[in-house]
Amino acid sequence: MMKPLDIIRKKRAEAINRIVGKGYLSTKRVYVGMATCEIAAGSKEVMEVFKEAVNKGLTDVYLSQKGCAGRCNLEPTVEVIEEGKIPVKYGKVNEEKAREIIERHLKGGEVIEEWVIK
Amino acid sequence: MKKNKSKENFIITLCDGPSCIHNKSKELKRDIEIQLEKKGLSDNGRIILSGCLGMCSKGPILIVNPGYTIYGHVTEKDIPEIVESHLVKGKPVSRLIIDEDHLYNRFFRVFGDVGFFGKQMRITLRNCGIIDPESIDDYISLRGYEAIAKILSDMKPEEVIEEVKRSGLRGRGGAGFPTGMKWEFTANQKSDEKYVICNADEGDPGAFMDRSAIEGDPHTVIEGMIIGGYAVGSAKGIVYIRAEYPLAITRLEKAIKDARDSGFLGENILGSDFSFDIEIRLGAGAFVCGEETALIHSIEGSRGMPRPRPPYPSVNGLFGKPTLINNVETWANVPVIILDSADWFRKVGTEKSKGTKVFALAGKVKNTGLVEVPMGTTLREIIFDIGGGIEKGKKFKAVQTGGPSGGCLPEKYLDTPIDYESLAKAGSIMGSGGMIVIDEDSCMVNIAKFFLEFTQNESCGKCTPCREGTKRMLEILTRITEGKGEQGDIEKLERLGNLIKKASLCGLGQSAPNPVLSTLTNFREEYEEHIKHKKCRAGECRLLLDYVINDKCVGCGACKRICPAGAVSGNPKTPHVIDKSKCIKCGQCYEICKFGAVDKK
Repeated sequence: MMKPLDIIRKKRAEAINRIVGKGYLSTKRVYVGMATCEIAAGSKEVMEVFKEAVNKGLTDVYLSQKGCAGRCNLEPTVEVIEEGKIPVKYGKVNEEKAREIIERHLKGGEVIEEWVIK
Repeated sequence: MKKNKSKENFIITLCDGPSCIHNKSKELKRDIEIQLEKKGLSDNGRIILSGCLGMCSKGPILIVNPGYTIYGHVTEKDIPEIVESHLVKGKPVSRLIIDEDHLYNRFFRVFGDVGFFGKQMRITLRNCGIIDPESIDDYISLRGYEAIAKILSDMKPEEVIEEVKRSGLRGRGGAGFPTGMKWEFTANQKSDEKYVICNADEGDPGAFMDRSAIEGDPHTVIEGMIIGGYAVGSAKGIVYIRAEYPLAITRLEKAIKDARDSGFLGENILGSDFSFDIEIRLGAGAFVCGEETALIHSIEGSRGMPRPRPPYPSVNGLFGKPTLINNVETWANVPVIILDSADWFRKVGTEKSKGTKVFALAGKVKNTGLVEVPMGTTLREIIFDIGGGIEKGKKFKAVQTGGPSGGCLPEKYLDTPIDYESLAKAGSIMGSGGMIVIDEDSCMVNIAKFFLEFTQNESCGKCTPCREGTKRMLEILTRITEGKGEQGDIEKLERLGNLIKKASLCGLGQSAPNPVLSTLTNFREEYEEHIKHKKCRAGECRLLLDYVINDKCVGCGACKRICPAGAVSGNPKTPHVIDKSKCIKCGQCYEICKFGAVDKK
C-alpha cells in the first residue's frame, strides 16, 4: 500500500501538471490582488481588463488572482512575473493603467518603472 | 533612485539578520559595491539588506535575483568571483550555491526587493499574495498538505505534540499560552469525542490579519487544523468566523470542499485510518465571541457570553467535550513547524517568544499594511524601517498595540524588542496584532476614550465590573474631553480601572481599562491639562477649543452665514468677530473659511 507521503508526491505532480496545462509556463504570469481590501480599492475592474485582453487574443500570458500581500495603501497591486527576470510589482493600478500595462509591458516588454513598487 | 534611468538588471539581497550581521553582512555590502564600481555595473542593479532570512546556520547569505540564486557562507574573497561570473558572465558560482529553500521564503522570491517587505519574515503569510487562494493545486504545488502526509506516514500523535511543544509556538490570539501544552492537555483527556476549533472571530478595530490569511491562503489554516486533530485525537473541526467576512468565508468553503474532494478531509485521509472533517460556523460579529468560552457558547447556539475558567476548554469545551481552540495565525504556523522542523522554528524569535508575529500596521504611518516580523524586532524597526516613519513629517507620539485590550507606548519604548513579556512589561500587550501609530495631532485622552467606547459597547453585560465599570469610566472620560473634568477624576479612573481588571470575568473586561491606564501612566500631563486648564494640546477635543477670527479676515461673510448659533457678527468687507458666549464650537466657520482667518486655540 502507498504511504501518505507517496500519495502526496503523486498528487503534487498531478497538481503541477494541471497548473502547467493551464498555461503556467507562459512567458509572463500576471497576478491580480483579489482580497476584500484589493477589491474595495478597485481590483475587480482591473481584473476584468486583463480577462478581456486574454479573451480578445492576448497570448502567452498566465492570468491568476492572488490574496493580499499586505501593502494596503498601494492597492490594487498587480505582479508580472517572467522567468529569468526580476518580478515586477505594480501598485495603485486602475483600469487605465491596466490597459497600459497590457500594451507596454505584456505586449511590448517594457517595464513601466514609475508605477513599480520598490 | 539613481539619476539615470538605466534598467535594473539585478538585485542583490544580503541577509541582515542578527547572525549574518555577526558574520559581517554590512562589510560584504561594501565589498560588493566596490566590485560593481570596478566593473561599471553600479547603476545596473540594487543591493538590499533584508531582515533575517532564516538560514542562519549557513550565513552570511547572499541572494542574486533574477533567478533567486541563494549563496551561503559567503566571504569577502568570494565577492569578486560572484560579481565577475554571475553578474558579468551570467554564470552562477555553483560551489557557493546552497540548496535551502524553505516554505517561508517563496514570498521573497516575488516581493523580497520591496523595502516594505524585505525586512519582514513571512511564515504564516508565506503564501499570501503569491498563490491563487481558490486553487488547491497552487497550494499543493508549494508543498501544501505535505505536513499531513508526513505526520500520517512517520509521526505518532504524541510526537506531533512534542514537536509543537519544542517549537516554542505560543497562541497568537493574544494571551500567548504555549500551544503545545494546550494540545497536550486536550490529548490527555479521555473522551469519545473531541473538537478542534479555529478562532477566526477577529474583532479588534483596524485588525485584519486573520481575514488576509484566510482570503490569501485558506488551505494553510485547514492543514494546521487537520494536524491538530490528529495530535489530540479529534475527528471534528469547526472554524468560527464572523459573518462580516463574506469573501473569507466563500474561499474557506471552497477550500474545505476542494480538500475533501482531494482526500485531505473526510474518511481515511490519504489512505490512513485517520478521519477528520471541518465545518464553518458563522459569528454575528460580537467582539466578546473571540473569548474562547463565549465562542463555544455561540457555537452551541446560546448567547455568546463567557463563563469562568477553569474548567478550560481542553477539559470541558464544546458540548462538554475536550476542545482545542487556536487562533488563525497559530494554526497557520503549524504546517511550517512540521515540515521545516521545530528546531528551525525555535531559532527565530526571542528566548521566550519563538517565531514571527503578524501586525496590522495602521494610523499615521507612511506605509500601512501587514507586517510579519520575527519576535524581538523593535517597534522602531516596524514603524520607521518598514512603515517608513510618520506621515507629513509630523512627530511620533505613541504606538497603540493590542487593540482595545492593549496600551499606548510612548517614544521611550520604541527600542523595546517585541515579545509577549516585553510588551506586557511596558504596559501594553501583544494582543492579536493591531498596531496603530499616533502622531502629535492626536489627543491621548480621546484615543483612550475611543477604545473604551468600543469595549463598553461590546461588553456582554454578564459581570458587573465590566458592565458598570466601563460605563462609569467612559462617562468620566467623556466629561474630561468636553471640558467638564473635575479634580479627582484621574484618581477615580485609576481606581475603577484597576478594579475592573481584577474583578472582571473574562479577558474583555480584564483588559478593557488598559488603553486608559497606559495613557494615564505615559501621558498623564495631557489628562491634567484637560482637567485643570481645559486645554487639548492636539486640538482634537473641540469643546476645549476657542475659535477666534484673525486679521486675515476679508469680511466675506461665509462664516457668518454658516454659523448655526448666530455667534459671528460683522459688516461686509470688514473683519468679523465670534462671540465666545454664543459659540457652540461646531467648527463650521473653521472649515468654510478660505482665507485661513479662523484660528482654533
